[in-house]
Amino acid sequence: MALRASLLQATFNFERQQGLGWAFALAPALRRLYPDPALRAQRLAEHTAYFNTQPTLCSVALGAVASYEEQRAAGAPIDAGSVTRVKNVLGSSLAAIGDRMFWFTLRPLCACIGLILAAGGSAFGALAMWICYNVMHQGMRVLGVSWGYQQGPAVVSGELRPRLERMIRTWSLMGVAAVGATVAVVLVPNGAPRPVLFQIVFLCGLAFGLIVAQRVRPSPTEWALGAAAVSLIVSFPR
Amino acid sequence: MNVPITATALLGGVVALDAGPVAQTLFSQPLVTASLLGLLWNDLPLALSVGVVLQILAASTLPVGSRTPEDYAMGGVIGVALALMLAQQQPYSVARDGCALVGVIAGMISATAGVPLLKWQRRRNEGLSHWCEAELLAGREQALGQAHVAGVVLAFGVGVSYTAACVALGVGLLAGAVKTESIWLARAWSYAQPVWIGLGLAQLLHAFVQRRPMRVAVFGAALFVTWILLMVGSA
Repeated sequence: MALRASLLQATFNFERQQGLGWAFALAPALRRLYPDPALRAQRLAEHTAYFNTQPTLCSVALGAVASYEEQRAAGAPIDAGSVTRVKNVLGSSLAAIGDRMFWFTLRPLCACIGLILAAGGSAFGALAMWICYNVMHQGMRVLGVSWGYQQGPAVVSGELRPRLERMIRTWSLMGVAAVGATVAVVLVPNGAPRPVLFQIVFLCGLAFGLIVAQRVRPSPTEWALGAAAVSLIVSFPR
Repeated sequence: MNVPITATALLGGVVALDAGPVAQTLFSQPLVTASLLGLLWNDLPLALSVGVVLQILAASTLPVGSRTPEDYAMGGVIGVALALMLAQQQPYSVARDGCALVGVIAGMISATAGVPLLKWQRRRNEGLSHWCEAELLAGREQALGQAHVAGVVLAFGVGVSYTAACVALGVGLLAGAVKTESIWLARAWSYAQPVWIGLGLAQLLHAFVQRRPMRVAVFGAALFVTWILLMVGSA
């Protein structure tokens, strides 16, 4: 299931988002729980409905719903509606944690680690970034299924949430330190200070970036394209 | 066919898969693809100078709310590949900075232009999703696997085609400009590179700090200690 969860977004779409990928990842559990092909196909079709969460922590929801489906297959009074409700609650709770954890914290942190090495001209920066991210990303993807399965639908309200919140706080502190180190490496790569013009323009960019970061729009890319246009105009040969 | 060109187009397909449909391992991040392309085209310094800027911008681009963020997976491959291909044709070192500038701008534009393409793929997948549900209800379980193969093949094909088209267009349109305006472009690079890096790092800093004084102190301490270590290490 953890391996199949890697394909969660292969058929991502606006209507059902990860619904099809979810059914594909859950299929091995349903195959074991429902030997009757007609009933199994019906259950799989139910699971193709709308679902959306953060892709790494999806494995926690997969484990939890597999455990819930196990109870259903054993004859517990659980209908399709309650399975959908459990899926949706887990999906939104895990997305709230996972987005902050992976997109807003771990990914920028690993990028800074890679940039610190790459700014010195090393190709190992990319390798360091990739390894740092995947130790956590793939580790959680694999372990998440068993966490979810062992604790069932109550997994997010148990010990898991405070543990993940602690990890986010720790990584955020590490991220701030990594940004500080990246700024130093940009200004003094390999111990040789950059030209004064570079340092002044860089600090102007940093200050401007801190001002414009208060608003979501325009996006950093739009500001960067604007900066490119200004640079071309300023350096235009007279 | 030229091996590096073919490998670059195929890399575009692979990163299109990693960015969303398959595994999401960060293999598609500009720093990783820049390092690979630098080794492939035997020009790691130029690839990294473009890749570092695009990586900082990619890391500072967050999927906030329902907004589809710029596709820096494709932008990274296209921008770095274009810079490397243009630099191969230039005999003077000053032109390399111009190639880097053109590469970063092309990377940002192709990342932005890649968003409608992502949305198009998602709309195509809606049809796939309806077909799959109907097949499952008819008892054909293998439809689930077939739908996934179709989704992966579509994403890979779009990635390869988009990379090849953008790089070919970029080389065709910009090779002359890089050759004749190399001094202007190199001067613009000396202004644009530090602004881009500063702008991107400021976004990251803002996202991490979240107005907490303790974190500002950690940032300052890390900056100071690293700066001292670098200066002492080089002495």
